[in-house]
Amino acid sequence: MTSAPPTTPPGVAIAAHRLAHTYAGADGPLPALAPVDLEVAEGEFVSLVGPSGCGKTTLLRAVAGLLDPSEGEVGLLGGTPVEAQRARRIGLVAQDPGLLPWRTVEQNVRLPLEVTGGQGDVAGMLRQVGIAGFEHYRPAELSGGMRQRVALARALVHRPRVLLMDEPFGALDELSREAMRVELLRLWEAERITVLFVTHAVREAVLLSDRVLVMSPRPGRVVADIRVDLPRPRAPEMEESPAFFDAVRSIRAALTVDA
Amino acid sequence: MSLARRLAWLVGPPLVLGALLIALWELWVDVRGISFWVLPPPSDVVRAFFAEPDRYLEALVESLVTATGGLVLASVVAFGLAVVMAHSRILERAIYPPALLVKVTPIVAVYPLLMIWFGFGVWPRVIVAALITFFPMLVNAMVGLRSVEPAVLDVMRVLDASRAQVLWKVRLPSSLPYVFAALRISVPLSLIGAVVAEFLSGAGGMGQLILIANGDLATDELFAAVFVLAAAGIGMTAIVSYVEARVLGWTAAERQQMGA
Repeated sequence: MTSAPPTTPPGVAIAAHRLAHTYAGADGPLPALAPVDLEVAEGEFVSLVGPSGCGKTTLLRAVAGLLDPSEGEVGLLGGTPVEAQRARRIGLVAQDPGLLPWRTVEQNVRLPLEVTGGQGDVAGMLRQVGIAGFEHYRPAELSGGMRQRVALARALVHRPRVLLMDEPFGALDELSREAMRVELLRLWEAERITVLFVTHAVREAVLLSDRVLVMSPRPGRVVADIRVDLPRPRAPEMEESPAFFDAVRSIRAALTVDA
Repeated sequence: MSLARRLAWLVGPPLVLGALLIALWELWVDVRGISFWVLPPPSDVVRAFFAEPDRYLEALVESLVTATGGLVLASVVAFGLAVVMAHSRILERAIYPPALLVKVTPIVAVYPLLMIWFGFGVWPRVIVAALITFFPMLVNAMVGLRSVEPAVLDVMRVLDASRAQVLWKVRLPSSLPYVFAALRISVPLSLIGAVVAEFLSGAGGMGQLILIANGDLATDELFAAVFVLAAAGIGMTAIVSYVEARVLGWTAAERQQMGA
């Protein structure tokens, strides 16, 4: 196995080299991720698209430093993922918002600042994700979409340089999903931090991303790297444009070839 | 609904049923001519209590101090162990069997040993109350400390949170509903433990009072003692429920959500 130092060249936020992972399942080893190479530039929005069980979550967790891959290296912001954790440069949003039910919205968003001892604008963050006025609500009193907005605010309040999102809108109804897409676009286009976004919704990936990486079924490999030629700022109306359809068609083709 | 109406709705039905049962009891004893040392009429029981209320209340306070002492001792030790066990599967496996042994061993069988080790004072009785309440708290606290959603732990890890931060900000609050569930079980248990220990040692509190009444064949006093203990058990449980409602206001909204 080659042992390149886990780092990233200048201008690259996320780099994976020959990254592979096999879970120790009950019925023997379960290969989830075949060796994958990946590079995400700083300020780039990249989506990982693939069928269920293609290892996209595994890949994201390895990038976040939540999983020790069985092979290969991950570099994040010029160091290892764990170093990026220590520098408090990662924001994380998963499908399960993972809010603390005893805390109010405001207290939930404040959590990262308490943990890191850092400074941040909680009120401004709440306004940006569109939940100003709900500061004193508890998560149980909010809809799924609102909870995910709180999770997004919490992921960004300590001003991370990388935002990792694992099917963040997967549990939402279609209307909330659309609203969240627009919200995320607006937020991201103002800040331009690096985003790695895992989804199985092709159109969602195209609308949001600069680049879409298509993964094959288990064990996952990256089978296509498709650039989305849509101008910024993006708007939902672009879903009618030829460039949008081109990207969707290429992704669908890449998905079916290997299915 | 107004507060008065809600209160009436809450305590009305059991009060009516209770009064009815007591009236039936009084009537039954009278009609059948049952002798007072087998089943005294409730009026005699009330009279026995009010003949010397201080004796009952002093004995009750002594039992309650023993029970509470044991409960606090057990809860502190059990929660401390639960924190250790929640962090290490190996220590969990090591600690669980001896803890289970404490649970399944009949305390009555251990009491002579406790008297040899801790003398004739209040300590062996406190320890009985502690032993009887220890296990529910240990298991519930451990499950509670582990009941954290994985998504929350991921967020804490990405923020490089320390173990202490995860414990204070996430695990401890998560465990509170489980801790209160344990308290609702162990608060009445602690009173049982205290009275059983007083019985066994023949000294102190309601246990001794009952032993004496039994020796005198004063069945009315026995009944009075039983009712005093029952009232104390209800009172203690009510206090736990009240504190729980105050501390865990957030779970009410959660339960409602799940019901919806």
